[in-house]
Amino acid sequence: MSLGRTTRGVAAAVAALALGLASSAPARAADIKIGAMVPTSGSEAPYGIDMLNAIRMAADQINAKGGVLGEKISIIPGDDACDPQAAVNAASKLVSQGVTGVVGGYCSGATLPTLKIYGDAHVPFVITASNSTALIGANPGNAFMINSTGYDQVKTAVDLFKAKGIKTIAIINEGDAYSADLAKLTRAAWEKMGDKVVDYEVVSKGEQDFSAVVTKIRAAKPDAVFWTAYYADGALLLKQLRQGGYTGMIALGDGNNSPKLFQLAGPAANGVYCFSNPTANFLPSAKTFTEEYVKQFHQQPGPYSTLSYDGMMLMAHAIQVAGGPDKMKIIAALKATKDFKGVAGPISFTPQNTLARSNFVVLIGQGGKWALYTGPGAPKMP
Amino acid sequence: MPLQEILLQQLANGLILGSFYALVALGYSMVYGVIKLLNFAHGDLYMVGAFAGFGCLSLFSGWLGAGWAGIVPSILLSMVAVGLLGVVIDRIAYRPLREAPKLSVLITALAVSMVLENTVLAFTGGQFTAFSTDLGFAGIDLGLVHVTYTQMVLVGTSIVLMVVLELFVSRTRYGRAMRAIAIDPDACRLMGIDVNRTIALTFFIGSALAAASGVLAGVYYGSINFFMGFLIGLKAFTAAVIGGIGNIPGAMLGGLLLGLLEAFGTQIPGIGGQWKDVFVFAFLILFLVFRPTGILGKPEVERM
Repeated sequence: MSLGRTTRGVAAAVAALALGLASSAPARAADIKIGAMVPTSGSEAPYGIDMLNAIRMAADQINAKGGVLGEKISIIPGDDACDPQAAVNAASKLVSQGVTGVVGGYCSGATLPTLKIYGDAHVPFVITASNSTALIGANPGNAFMINSTGYDQVKTAVDLFKAKGIKTIAIINEGDAYSADLAKLTRAAWEKMGDKVVDYEVVSKGEQDFSAVVTKIRAAKPDAVFWTAYYADGALLLKQLRQGGYTGMIALGDGNNSPKLFQLAGPAANGVYCFSNPTANFLPSAKTFTEEYVKQFHQQPGPYSTLSYDGMMLMAHAIQVAGGPDKMKIIAALKATKDFKGVAGPISFTPQNTLARSNFVVLIGQGGKWALYTGPGAPKMP
Repeated sequence: MPLQEILLQQLANGLILGSFYALVALGYSMVYGVIKLLNFAHGDLYMVGAFAGFGCLSLFSGWLGAGWAGIVPSILLSMVAVGLLGVVIDRIAYRPLREAPKLSVLITALAVSMVLENTVLAFTGGQFTAFSTDLGFAGIDLGLVHVTYTQMVLVGTSIVLMVVLELFVSRTRYGRAMRAIAIDPDACRLMGIDVNRTIALTFFIGSALAAASGVLAGVYYGSINFFMGFLIGLKAFTAAVIGGIGNIPGAMLGGLLLGLLEAFGTQIPGIGGQWKDVFVFAFLILFLVFRPTGILGKPEVERM
């Protein structure tokens, strides 16, 4: 009796699963398949799901207008889980599924090893969030970065510190490609100007207890602390810094622009600075995008949603220009991109296939949310 | 900050962090001691415990408030719930493999870990959840170091739970049954001990301890997520091995030692910061080379 019930339960579950798969509309052979490589599981899943939403929204809008050259675009998600190994698997799978192009890439550490896979298959790859400078040298020529790179962020950070009269800084990162890259570049730029980095820390990802680091920082007394990794651990760090009695300036890298930071850190996040690529809420041009996104997904668009949307639109544009799904022609079309009108600003590329302008802004925590900082040391908006 | 104050502060930091490791390490060590299984799902029970505690506190905070009046019943309820989950996991995943090769059970434990993590991921959408309480930053100044009431309760709770557990295992009939099964389950069966029930009890207690630790971590750090059990599971396992796996006072000592190593390791000039984990785990390797059974573990005697 009990066995029968279990079997029936399993059968029902399998049936439900089959139905679920069927309803997600498999790609027709004639469709243009675009891979969306983002982390939809793992610790960075919230960002990844947000990016996937934006990519899907772009594809739906293109399809509603008749598609590209009469063909529908179908999105194939590839979950990189913010993990280099999972990313390699996801990338190989996307290539074997015959995608015409790939849009996405959030964690630089996960994106890095996929460059060779897409490169070997000559798959055009529009990188919408990953911005480690390590990606620039490793790019075989088929990848295009539409987010500003670490170099631009370092310049924004140093300019702000200088304008605020900071003399000594402490830098904390998590040792992954993204946060270590930003930390090293900042240290190099800061020391080149003859100023001191009094503490340089690497902590493990997922660590909840920063008490030892906080004690060390209080002893080193830096004028500013710069956290270069992501918001979830960053929230705990800045809370513990304030509780531990550190009163100096705290600045956060662009992985921290999330409203969640304020829920996790509470009032400790007020007065904290954050460098960020321009997110939908600070872009006048993204008003209709935001409305559409909220209507479809019942939540505010996250920090990389505009860039992901732009990435999909850019890919579609390049296919249109190339006149078909010929990958080499699409790569050439991407390379020739000149002032493509994206929601997050115009896109042109440098000879290294990186965004030809800095899109960084400085945010400041005020009353439990991020506000655009326009005081001394703030970069000019495009 | 004078050096003396820095060292005292790091001592406090290490002890607090160490009591978390110790609580989780206890469960690891207990289960290993009784059925020789490295329960890799143990860190995830800590995570599930944190979420269960968060759920309870959300329900209670309306009429008990989000201070200790609401937190204490949340911890207790979470311990019971996760304890039962541990028993269910043992019944479904481990008990059918009791006679199977050790490697099969080990892989099953990894699978259970994945199932727990991804189930919570599916329910929470991967979001980090803010665990807000009314506990302030008030406390007393012990010499040069400020210790909050929350930290004192935290360390106190850990010590009480560890002592109770040690007494339970060394002084009660059930504890004696557990120790007997650790030596020879077949002989125990012949002596009329209900082996499966005793093992279930072991899982209940171990899982409940993980849950208590998880809720306390949520209360203390104020943030929980589906992945929070991974790193602490790894560290607690390390602590259990340092202490002598299968040994309860050993797990406590191992946890505290690991916490202190991390705190002081961060402070060492040149090593701290970038090389902290290398320092900590190099110590582990050296320690195991010279004392493979851990601090309190007894060498296993093989009779021929």
